Amino acid sequence: MANPLSSFLSPALDLLGQNLKILPAVGGAVEDLQHPDREELDDTLLTRGEEAIEAFAETPEPAPDNLYRHTPSLFRNENHFFQFFIDGCISSYYLGTAIEGRRSFPIELAQIGAAVIKRQKDGTLKTFKNKRKLLLLLPRGGGGLSDTLWIKLQRQSPNQEIFKVVDIKEEDILSRQERGKDPRDVAGGKARWEMHELEISLISSIYENQNQKIWTILDGGLRIGNVPKTYPLIGVAKSFAKNPEFFLGTGRKPKRVDITTLLAGLPFSSRTVAFSMKGGNIAFWYVRLREQKELDYPLMGVVKVEVWRKDKKPISSGMADLISRALVAERNVTPYGIDRRWHCHLYPIHMTEQAIRSNFFSRQVLMGCIKWPRPQTGGSNE
Amino acid sequence: MNKERNIQKIGKTSATDRNPNTSDKFNFWLSPGVIVNPFDIVEVEQVSHEGKSKTFGLVTILEHSTDSPTHLANFISSNFGELEEEPNTPRQGTTIANVNVLSNDKAIYMPIPSEKTVKFADEKEIQVALGIDAMKPEDRIPAGLIKMSNETAAVAYIDRRYVLGPESAHINISGISGLATKTSYAMFLIQSILQKTPEKEKDKIAVILLNVKHGDLLQIDQRPERKFSPEEMEMWESLGLEPKPFDSDKVHYFLPRGRDGQPNSFLTPDIYHTYAYDLDSTADKLDLLFAQVPDTYFTLESIIGEIKEGMRNREPEFRNVNSWDNLLNGKPLFDPDKRATVAKWRDIRGSSIGVFRRHIRRMIKTTQSGIFVDSRSAHEKILTDEIMNIQGGHTYVVDIARLCEHEQMLVFGDLLRAIYSLKAETPEERKTPIPEKIIFFVDELNKYAPKGERVAPLTQNVLEIAERGRSLGINLISAQQFMSAVHPRVTGNCATKILGRSGSAEVLQSDYRFLDKEIKSNVTRLSKGELLLSHAVYRQPVKIIFPKPAYRQQES
Repeated sequence: MANPLSSFLSPALDLLGQNLKILPAVGGAVEDLQHPDREELDDTLLTRGEEAIEAFAETPEPAPDNLYRHTPSLFRNENHFFQFFIDGCISSYYLGTAIEGRRSFPIELAQIGAAVIKRQKDGTLKTFKNKRKLLLLLPRGGGGLSDTLWIKLQRQSPNQEIFKVVDIKEEDILSRQERGKDPRDVAGGKARWEMHELEISLISSIYENQNQKIWTILDGGLRIGNVPKTYPLIGVAKSFAKNPEFFLGTGRKPKRVDITTLLAGLPFSSRTVAFSMKGGNIAFWYVRLREQKELDYPLMGVVKVEVWRKDKKPISSGMADLISRALVAERNVTPYGIDRRWHCHLYPIHMTEQAIRSNFFSRQVLMGCIKWPRPQTGGSNE
Repeated sequence: MNKERNIQKIGKTSATDRNPNTSDKFNFWLSPGVIVNPFDIVEVEQVSHEGKSKTFGLVTILEHSTDSPTHLANFISSNFGELEEEPNTPRQGTTIANVNVLSNDKAIYMPIPSEKTVKFADEKEIQVALGIDAMKPEDRIPAGLIKMSNETAAVAYIDRRYVLGPESAHINISGISGLATKTSYAMFLIQSILQKTPEKEKDKIAVILLNVKHGDLLQIDQRPERKFSPEEMEMWESLGLEPKPFDSDKVHYFLPRGRDGQPNSFLTPDIYHTYAYDLDSTADKLDLLFAQVPDTYFTLESIIGEIKEGMRNREPEFRNVNSWDNLLNGKPLFDPDKRATVAKWRDIRGSSIGVFRRHIRRMIKTTQSGIFVDSRSAHEKILTDEIMNIQGGHTYVVDIARLCEHEQMLVFGDLLRAIYSLKAETPEERKTPIPEKIIFFVDELNKYAPKGERVAPLTQNVLEIAERGRSLGINLISAQQFMSAVHPRVTGNCATKILGRSGSAEVLQSDYRFLDKEIKSNVTRLSKGELLLSHAVYRQPVKIIFPKPAYRQQES
């Protein structure tokens, strides 16, 4: 059986191998380790400059001295509220360093995937959509790949739905945060951006033939990429920035609450009131899924919920309660022992990750395509 | 559930890094809602040199696995042990069936690739899977019904050539499956063999049955008192057999004589013969009486040998020894004048003679059931003589149920020797043809051929039948609770083994090494009426059911 990547990845790598001097990575390719708190870091970067939260996004407006609302579980058999779950996954490999003339740069290969899982009435899950894409990440232009070779490479990869050559110097909201860092980190940011784009591309497919009132959970925040704002969709982040401060109440001296104090006081099966972000475009709040006594640390077992607000209109308390109650019910079952974020992980999202990863090409298949020309041994006098 | 949905496709094969498919085994996951049980036979498409082939497999064990790495994770997933809480999303899990490859219809034994659709085999495919399609129709003996989870049923045929020879012979039935299950099955199989024998061949098979429990086999020519249920009738019909008792005019019952001269049996059939043993007819079988008596220095064996030779050659010393009483209380072993055992006889010390006499007294006088007589009446038969005259097409039932153990040993050994002698050294005086095949059924074989280093004369007779019977046309159908208690050379020579439910300690014995570990665990779970059939033609044992006997049984 032919290697499924041989029709598009192999020609691209052959082209690079023939035109560049390649210093291959040890063993052909080295898998990049994902930063353990990537989601939290991204949230921190994306909320930079918005650390001070000063407004509520809930109606009726909450009182500053009553920031928690009890939201007991609303189980699937009472109200099957969340029926779709979207997530994305990434695995990236450092293939080697390319030398073209006097320029040297890393070659990164990333495998990105996104999937929508539908939960049926009886609780069983079915894959609704599952997409996968390979990215070859290189810098173009000054300090990177020459334009001539770049154009040749693009010509060899006509189907960008399957295989895309990405210029890591083309900045986006995530790779911008890595500017000036190791090009491999920049490539990582770029790959994450592409993954989010893939996730977003699936959202509208959910509602093509579906009831527009069915709710969907997107793993992570809503602020990366162009997330559609018209669908009943929430972003649920397991890890989030720990630096916001809340200034609540009117008057000259509003009540100041840091996030640790806010969440440490959040009881089990409860939510905080909704706060405003992005000038009122997003309402967000926190929900405690697990009792603190079951966990090591008071901030564990809490998720951050984000909802787009059309016309900056605050969310009604009833709707925020409903969303939160349905979320609390999602705490069981949990991927305890498989994922260290089990305390705030939603099992359907975990299964979406599994569905994506099971659709990835294995390391063996990838390695089967990576055959660089044997490097010259010893130095050169040139 | 399968029947309602008329499911044929049941899952897909699955090969993983740690659990690959091999030429012998493969795994498949089950589609939700499908019910599969161990011993179901499945079919998967496989490659071949021309077109495609089909690989058939036997489900051995089913496992359910989830993504939970520990039980603690499941505890936590129930909200830390909350019994009432239902998970919003059930944990992902799948049932995996482990399958032993039975055969491929084009002899391709490549491992089954992953992701191949698995189906239940249909009736025809089950027979292909087991190799039944390769048996000649006239050689097929119905041995039970295979019933699968999707209600598909197929007859498990065994090959006559491997049951009655010449390829192999002998059947052993083992297990603790329940009241009279083993006997019922043996009788079903004998009826099946007889009914499926072509008319012109029927007169060439004689059957000897040893009745060892109650009156189990003393009414085999009578119709059962109860009526067959429609399901039972359907089963008989599926098997292609007629539910009828043995022909009355061809069944002969031999009952042991009791102390009062009447038959010593749990039941007395309308027509029967009584048998008894006098010294004259027993002298050359005395060793059988001593089968269970320890004889470390072979002194008892020497005495028995001397007596046997003396009586056969009518030596002067034995001229007056014509009854058990004479043997015990007269010369040459006893001195009536001194009223004591002789001090020495033919270099055998008096103390040994004394031991022999004490045993004989115990067996013939004090603990006998009435079978030993000093002189037989005219209607009391000698079993050996009767066996030497057996006719093909007839069934002979010898009752030993109420006999003492040493008497049972004697009768069993006597029958074996007579059959062996009939087939090995045809008596000159015999006028009618000797049956080509003799089927001999015995229950509680462990009594007569126990496992152990010491091979008693009786065990030796059983071993000879097991090892040489096939060539002589003697076929042993034996049964016992524990196969491990029987001499391995006997069970090892049985080409067909039937297992009923057995304990886990029993199936761990080396005698069961022909079974896979997974199948062994299934043997411990067989229900009453379910048996495992291991036949020389089959690559794997199969689970079968069989109908209740078509003859009358004594109510327990």
